[in-house]
Amino acid sequence: MSARDDFARALLDPDQPCPAGLVAWNGSDPARRFQVYRNNVLVALVDALADGFMVTRELVGDAFFRAMAAAHARAHPPRSPVLACYGADFPGFIARFPPAAGLPYLADVARLEYLRVVACHAADVAPVSQAALAARLADEAGLPALGLGLQPSLAVLSSRFAVVSLWAAHHGVGDLAAVLPEAAETALVLRPGLEVEVIGIPPASGVFIAALQSGRPLGQAADEAMALGVGFDLAATLGLLLQKSAVTALHPSGSIS
Amino acid sequence: MSAITTKSISAASLALAVGAALSLAAAPAAAQDRMADKEKCFGVALKGKNDCKAGAGTTCAGTSKVDYQGNAWSLVPKGSCEKTASPSSPTGHGQLAEFKEKKV
Repeated sequence: MSARDDFARALLDPDQPCPAGLVAWNGSDPARRFQVYRNNVLVALVDALADGFMVTRELVGDAFFRAMAAAHARAHPPRSPVLACYGADFPGFIARFPPAAGLPYLADVARLEYLRVVACHAADVAPVSQAALAARLADEAGLPALGLGLQPSLAVLSSRFAVVSLWAAHHGVGDLAAVLPEAAETALVLRPGLEVEVIGIPPASGVFIAALQSGRPLGQAADEAMALGVGFDLAATLGLLLQKSAVTALHPSGSIS
Repeated sequence: MSAITTKSISAASLALAVGAALSLAAAPAAAQDRMADKEKCFGVALKGKNDCKAGAGTTCAGTSKVDYQGNAWSLVPKGSCEKTASPSSPTGHGQLAEFKEKKV
């Protein structure tokens, strides 16, 4: 164990002693200075989560959230110096966090919020022109094998809970008291331009978009969506993707390298 | 629902749908406008706070052992979820303490 490992471990565990060998520049007590630093590290991590998971925080209250976030920060410290994207493991942590078991939808709300964080920082890719897609209509027989590349910011979250309504109600859209948390909803997260959007979509549309995102061609993705047997509006789903500038590439062979 | 159904969508149906989608989306200005206007944007302005800011919570006292951990576990999550509708609740809204008891 190197001194650096000792230092890192002691930073996240308040029961660890101050690492040996520390010296303060002005001769003050290193143990006390270390405690200040330790406190600020944890506060910074908790604040970063509080910024990214605002609805999750509102759902449980600030005190509960900060305690949960601190427990997560100690168990799963950041693996990247980019703190803006910290929290990938947080939804899974919430799902297994016994004190939050009374709110079964909390983890999915957190998943949705993390997808927004990822979408916010995702790369910008220019959408394909509608003329380019229209040109593919000339080769009707090739359409089923046509692959569609989608924006890096795009994600689909299929939840057993009303994540979109819950999230929206916390942003002033809709009446929170009218939201039934147990109603399954599918969320489409993407960033057309500068704003991250959360859009509630039918479950079959979610299956379709997720299949496209996995690289399956148009025909196969549509088949999978229809196989759900709950009704699938292909034109509306494609129209939404085009409206939101979500289609970034056309792969005529269906092969996406 | 039978096992023998392996029907695939026809190329013609796909062409119809793509054509309809294109006409649905034929509002090319919309996406551009969205980038230009200045609506307030919830939760997007994230920043990596890795410095010692002089805000609430960042005391410069050694409070690293003093956090919510001790009493938080007994806290019932509270907040706006208590306003959230619940069909299994006698009040019609989430009552967090009773929530688990209701689910037999």
